[in-house]
Amino acid sequence: MKRNNWMSFASIGTVAVSLLILGMFLIVVLNLNKMAASLESQVQISVYLQDDLKQKDIDRIEGKIKDFQGIETITYIDKDKALERFKDRLGDQKFLLTALGDTNPLPNAFEVTVQRPDFVKTLSESISQIEGVESAKFGQDVVEHLFDLTRMVRLFGLGIMLVLAGATVFIISNTIRLTVFARRKEIAIMKYVGATDWFIRWPFLLEGMVLGFFGGAIATIILRSSYSAVTARVYDTLTFLPLIPEYPFLNYISLAILVSGTFIGALGSTISLKRFLKV
Amino acid sequence: MIHMHNVSKIYENGAVALQNVDIDIEKGEFVFIVGASGAGKSTFVKMLLREVLPTQGSLVVNGRNVLEMAATEVPYLRRGLGVIFQDYRLLTEKTVYENIAFAMQVIEAPRREMQKCVNNVLDVVGLKDKYKCFPSQLSGGEQQRVAIARAIVNHPQIVIADEPTGNLDPDTSWGIMDIFTRINKAGTTIVMATHDKTIVDTMHKRVVAIEDGRIARDEMEGAYGYED
Repeated sequence: MKRNNWMSFASIGTVAVSLLILGMFLIVVLNLNKMAASLESQVQISVYLQDDLKQKDIDRIEGKIKDFQGIETITYIDKDKALERFKDRLGDQKFLLTALGDTNPLPNAFEVTVQRPDFVKTLSESISQIEGVESAKFGQDVVEHLFDLTRMVRLFGLGIMLVLAGATVFIISNTIRLTVFARRKEIAIMKYVGATDWFIRWPFLLEGMVLGFFGGAIATIILRSSYSAVTARVYDTLTFLPLIPEYPFLNYISLAILVSGTFIGALGSTISLKRFLKV
Repeated sequence: MIHMHNVSKIYENGAVALQNVDIDIEKGEFVFIVGASGAGKSTFVKMLLREVLPTQGSLVVNGRNVLEMAATEVPYLRRGLGVIFQDYRLLTEKTVYENIAFAMQVIEAPRREMQKCVNNVLDVVGLKDKYKCFPSQLSGGEQQRVAIARAIVNHPQIVIADEPTGNLDPDTSWGIMDIFTRINKAGTTIVMATHDKTIVDTMHKRVVAIEDGRIARDEMEGAYGYED
């Protein structure tokens, strides 16, 4: 191994770059996943009530909604509070509301959040059947688009990572082929004097694993420090973005990269040795 | 030792290398395989090592059936064979001692035997004082002697040599043949493919001539039989 220093460095570098890209994708996909999940969890049902209900009707409706399975929280927003919020949202343009005079066109309402996003549709249908409920809305189009989007992110991310893993095996098997090729004479002599395939294979296997491990280690170091820097920056400026916290997330990522680096190294050297063992 | 019956080898491109070859070589024999280039000598040698498989026929080497053997048994077949090539095939970055010991290491021979065995074979080939040299510091004849030492260090029953004197001048070649004679006298079977008319004619050993993939002659105490 000592006579192939240059090639070993080249291999480690290639492995490091491949695993770095792989790791970056893993982190991005997992974060997108988390963002999608947090968006999904924010989906809520607005339950608008008929105008002339008494307090006991409102309590009855609240009780009925609470009885449904899968309800997370329920908050009552009376029409005055709703108008207040509407004014806040309008900001500088709240003068538009002066046209209304003293009337308040907004209904009393409940805001309902659910335990799982895919409950939203059926629950809102059931709630709209309750007597005294005018309508139950959840921004159907938006939610369904969101579901499509998150599903696509997951599938696409998985696909990209599989392709990258395959490409990494290919790159490593090619770089290890260089080392094997440099020692083909040695391998041929070993075969002629009666060395078993496993005796010939294991040093190369070990070398592949070591290269994969060191490449993975470099990729891990770069990923850890850059993720820390990115999260620090994001927390300062884009506070609403729900990034996955560094710990223990980064430890799992590091472990995954080191293990897959070692495994990919072993796989790569096995593939590249196959041809040279046929003597 | 070697029993070849009705063996043919046809390569995938349709080239016929050997046809219906029958030959028996017994323990302790010294056999020259002669013939023009491309006559099938190399295929014959490679078959003994199971580097190529016969297309048909039966081949038993050292009591092992070469055709029916599993791939995992091949190393054990080869441990009973010492092989020597025209181009020596030494590892240039290892010393003489390391090159020979390498053959013992790769079959995981006991470490304490190694030094004794390597010194013994260095004595046999007359290179005791050059054990620290690298192949590039040796003459062609000396390199071939290292190759012979490596081939015999694991005590094979058969030594297979493919044109071992092909790159050497006549004097040096005789030195090599002298070593083969001594190894043979100690009971090792020797199969040597060669082009060297003088050597074959002088040694009066068994000569098997291969022409166009067939055995044309098989004579005890034979001669080369071709013009150079």
